Amino acid sequence: MNRHPAYPKGASAYPRGSNAFSISPNRFQPRSQPSLRRRRQLFQRLILLGGVSLLLVIFIFPSWRAALLPAISLGLLHPSADLQLQTVRYYDLSEVTGTEKGWERGERVLMLTPLRDAASHLPMFFSHLRNLTYPHNLIDLAFLVSDSRDDTLNMLSNMLQDIQNDPDPKMSFGEISVIQKDFGQKVQQDVESRHGFEAQASRRKLMAQARNWLLSATLRPTHSWVYWRDADVETAPFTIIEDLMRHNKDVIVPNVWRPLPDWLGGEQPYDLNSWQESETALALADTLDEDAVIVEGYAEYATWRPHLAYLRDPYGDPDMEMELDGIGGVSILAKAQVFRAGVHFPAFSFEKHAETEGFGKMAKRMKFSVVGLPHYVIWHLYEPSVDDLRHMEEMELEKQALEREEKERELAQQKEGTQVKKAQDVVNGDAAKGSEEGPIAHAEKNAGKGSSNK
Amino acid sequence: MAVARSMRRTSPTSLVLAALLAFGFICFLLTPSTPSASASATSQQRQQDAAEHPLSPPTKPFLKSQPIRSDGYQAAPPVVHYNLNNLTSTSTSAANAERVLILTPLARFYQGYWDNLEKLNYPHELISLGFIAPKTKDGNTAVAALEKAIARTQSGPIDDRFASISILRQDFEPSLDSQDEKVRHKMASQKERRESMSRARNSLVFTTLGPGTSWVLWLDADIIETPPTLIQDLTHHDEPVIVPNCFQRYYDSSSRKWDIRPYDYNSWVDSEKAQELAANMDADEILLEGYAEMPTYRTLMAYLPDFNDLDPKRMVALDGVGGTALMVKADVHRDGAMFPAFPFFHLVETEGFAKMARRLGYSVFGLPDYFVYHYNE
Repeated sequence: MNRHPAYPKGASAYPRGSNAFSISPNRFQPRSQPSLRRRRQLFQRLILLGGVSLLLVIFIFPSWRAALLPAISLGLLHPSADLQLQTVRYYDLSEVTGTEKGWERGERVLMLTPLRDAASHLPMFFSHLRNLTYPHNLIDLAFLVSDSRDDTLNMLSNMLQDIQNDPDPKMSFGEISVIQKDFGQKVQQDVESRHGFEAQASRRKLMAQARNWLLSATLRPTHSWVYWRDADVETAPFTIIEDLMRHNKDVIVPNVWRPLPDWLGGEQPYDLNSWQESETALALADTLDEDAVIVEGYAEYATWRPHLAYLRDPYGDPDMEMELDGIGGVSILAKAQVFRAGVHFPAFSFEKHAETEGFGKMAKRMKFSVVGLPHYVIWHLYEPSVDDLRHMEEMELEKQALEREEKERELAQQKEGTQVKKAQDVVNGDAAKGSEEGPIAHAEKNAGKGSSNK
Repeated sequence: MAVARSMRRTSPTSLVLAALLAFGFICFLLTPSTPSASASATSQQRQQDAAEHPLSPPTKPFLKSQPIRSDGYQAAPPVVHYNLNNLTSTSTSAANAERVLILTPLARFYQGYWDNLEKLNYPHELISLGFIAPKTKDGNTAVAALEKAIARTQSGPIDDRFASISILRQDFEPSLDSQDEKVRHKMASQKERRESMSRARNSLVFTTLGPGTSWVLWLDADIIETPPTLIQDLTHHDEPVIVPNCFQRYYDSSSRKWDIRPYDYNSWVDSEKAQELAANMDADEILLEGYAEMPTYRTLMAYLPDFNDLDPKRMVALDGVGGTALMVKADVHRDGAMFPAFPFFHLVETEGFAKMARRLGYSVFGLPDYFVYHYNE
């Protein structure tokens, strides 16, 4: 009677009786006895009553809810949102050691920017941020706002809000931290006092402290790279992070120059803190006290070190590398591994150096590679010094005097009744000549001033 | 009678469905929209302290659910402000709700260590833990055991849970495969071992410190017994760096009873002899403590306790510290004090750390009569 061809040998998957079609929906089912039925009804009523009273109790005493709910909901519902917290994190640092193609491997970059009274630089800085080609969601931003008397903090948070809420989902960045910490900096931040020799050592130590605070508060186990970037960089390639990363070095810096007005020579090396160690400097270091700090770029310490900045050739290969010992802090790309190993910006005299120069020295000490790119240049903002400002003012006054003279001449000519058109031509010619003469006259006077500023 | 009949008529399936519906309805009604205060005294605070986004300091727990933008994309991480001017580290740490980060380089997991940690009576919602383990077989075993212990604690009573826990795996090879006591303490292998240890410690502290930590407590994985008030006692002195005396319990077979003996010799006051030794050393050599080949004649804190007159509050100024248990104000690490993985004034690791802290202008103290106990192998 087996009609299933699936069992060719006659064996079925489960034992069946001789009668496979024994389904009988109309089989007789014995009824329970009336006494049994009544008892069941009683039970049902009691359970119903109990349920209703429990419900009432729960409604009346809210404190019972927390105690009862987890029990009756079998842990499917959470009584308090506390259980919605993730408290344990696991990180494998060997997966974030940093490679030359970080953007393809999704490596996170921490971008760090110390700010002080920098409100005027922020719009420029944010336009650079928006233009970065490294995937924004892989970049975590961190700022340190310290001892600021202007509106830096408010402006910064508004601009950050805007960028995070940008309609383009590719524009927003990763984790954003704004750290406020005042170090009680007494040293003024204007160009003149900032670069004065006396103030340098203690200023550099405070800067180092600020950098360390920013880094230690924001470095995470997820970061493969750390990019330090100052807010006052005027021009830099959009691809700078990738460009520097491609070299796959532990610490790498570009060359930093700054543009100058024509009457000062057009351009000038800016960052003199990137250098190679020299015999003279080592000999000098030996003569100095344990706590002394050598600062580069001042006549007081003649070190005769080869500087990255002076080796620039505008037509040189931008990929050329140069081994360095001390580095400047305008734009540093370093593997996060370097900072994790303990290299930091010494706020004490480390081998006679502090801050970024000491950082380079310490990285070298721990056998990390430190290189600079002499022909890959970014441009620092030009902030006129007090002397420059005075000269510009004088130039402006001279220009105004010339214009006034011309106007008077023009009026005189009109009075004489000459044709208007002819007079205009003459004035235009004079004006052009005048604005050229002014600066040239001053350029000689100011020759060499630019290089003494830094 | 009518009720009973109607119930009798419905099939069991529809009864079950109805019950399920009613149950769901009740749960919906009862689920509180705000966390109820009665669940735990600290749950409200824990909730407030949590970060919104997973991209946040490891010292904070974060919300499991993430907001979505109106256009369907995941919302970008928020802009978070941290005012470190308000961060304090004072002698009344618990009253000021100062956060403590306990950091442990993990080579082996001891249940005694974890039990002791759970017994600390500093408010647990203010304690974050950080571990770092090498990527070796031993490391895997230790992490597995640790994760088991964590899972139990973090799903237990809310008040006993720690604020957050980070587990890190090293990105460099440990210097030695063996954690065997004899090999580990051999003088020749010490420099390499301690330099590797320094890197592990630095990796741990500089990635987990975050913006909210006031104190960092270094506690080795083999410290199995401390007073439950360890954090309060050490922060009470309000010193930048302070170290208790690390001893070990052992069974004295001659007197047939349990006794204690010094374990950690890295906490010391410098001596002229040691300075002299250092002055004549090569730049890459290091001074080591506790080896007969190199007598330094330093004053060791391990030998300072006077057992007839113990005063747990007694402090001595130190030049070198050990790392088995070490309380540091977070500011000291923030200023850059780290564990040198290279000879720093001929010192490495925790001893070098003490030197660097002092160069940064911080003082270093020890508590000779305050004991913590090391595991006895």
